[in-house]
Amino acid sequence: MQLLSPCTNLEENLVLFHYGELPPPERFSLEQHLSGCANCTAYLKDLSALLPLTVKADDPPATFWLDYNRELRHKIASTRDKSWLPAKFGAFFQPRLLTAFGAIAVIAVALTLTLGKGVWQSRDVPREDEALMEVLPMAEDLDFFKTMDVLDNLDVLEFMGNQRGPA
Amino acid sequence: MTVLEPFLVCGAAKSLQDRSSSVRAGDEELVALAQSGNEQAFEQLVERHKQKAYHIAFDFCRDREDAKDLSQDAFLKAFVNLKNFDGRSSFYTWFYRILVNLCLDYKRRQKRSPTDSFDETLEPQMERSHEPSQPRSPDQQVLARQMSRRVDAALQALPAKQRTAFILKNHQGLSIKEIAELMQTAEGTVKVHLHRAVTALRHSLAEFV
Repeated sequence: MQLLSPCTNLEENLVLFHYGELPPPERFSLEQHLSGCANCTAYLKDLSALLPLTVKADDPPATFWLDYNRELRHKIASTRDKSWLPAKFGAFFQPRLLTAFGAIAVIAVALTLTLGKGVWQSRDVPREDEALMEVLPMAEDLDFFKTMDVLDNLDVLEFMGNQRGPA
Repeated sequence: MTVLEPFLVCGAAKSLQDRSSSVRAGDEELVALAQSGNEQAFEQLVERHKQKAYHIAFDFCRDREDAKDLSQDAFLKAFVNLKNFDGRSSFYTWFYRILVNLCLDYKRRQKRSPTDSFDETLEPQMERSHEPSQPRSPDQQVLARQMSRRVDAALQALPAKQRTAFILKNHQGLSIKEIAELMQTAEGTVKVHLHRAVTALRHSLAEFV
């Protein structure tokens, strides 16, 4: 079938006119045009005849809607059951939280290594005795050397006794 | 009664502008309740929108079971993401945007694994959905079936955006403004899509004019 072509510049307006979407000023001028244009009038008639044919009605029975509701409830329930655990655990693995946890860990390590230095040292010894405690090993060393001196002296005496011979 | 009369249901596709605005306030309250964990409120939202959602899905897929699944999936997605709904648009727009996107995904999946959606197994169901109030002669039935196939094929051949604009306008009676909100595009763009879709369909279905 040979289709009549409407005025090209008005074709979009004719479609909008068919659907009642053309604003009043343009609608009035198009109505005036239609009164004298057979092609545009035929085009509108084509649309009125053709476009309703593309609509298909579907009216499911009442049982369909009962099933519909039941199935939807079931789908929602199963989604909720599935999503509960991942949602709880997933919350810990969100990018923002991971970054925050990482930052907190780094800060904690840094604080431990800097401010925490010496925290674990024993505080059994009073602060005023600390100097004494530092000197004490040196004193022990002195004792050691004194002991060595005594031993040296004993060696000397023994040597001298051997030189005199038995009395 | 002509053979075409069962298809003349365009009048049923009345504008939803008024209806949607009248239920919008109620929707907002129900959404707020549903967001706070009230499941009955969500069920009420489903009850309000399920028929409309189903019919939109049916217009896209032309299959009763698929339309049911698609519309249910849209409600499911809405339920899961309801906490993210910030109310910038109405629930009506937000929900139907989810639905239309699911329908378009469905069409894309179908294109990737094409099946003959007009095969003999589906046809009885398709025909049932257009059952006339009066019995038709065998000739009329054959003609109606042929036309149904041609119309479906013509709609399938439209690009996704043109088909979406056309279905929402021609089948569902949404306003250009509503369609623009749903498709997240300008009203002028919707008008262009609609015009192109109508022009293409007029040429594809010229023999039925």
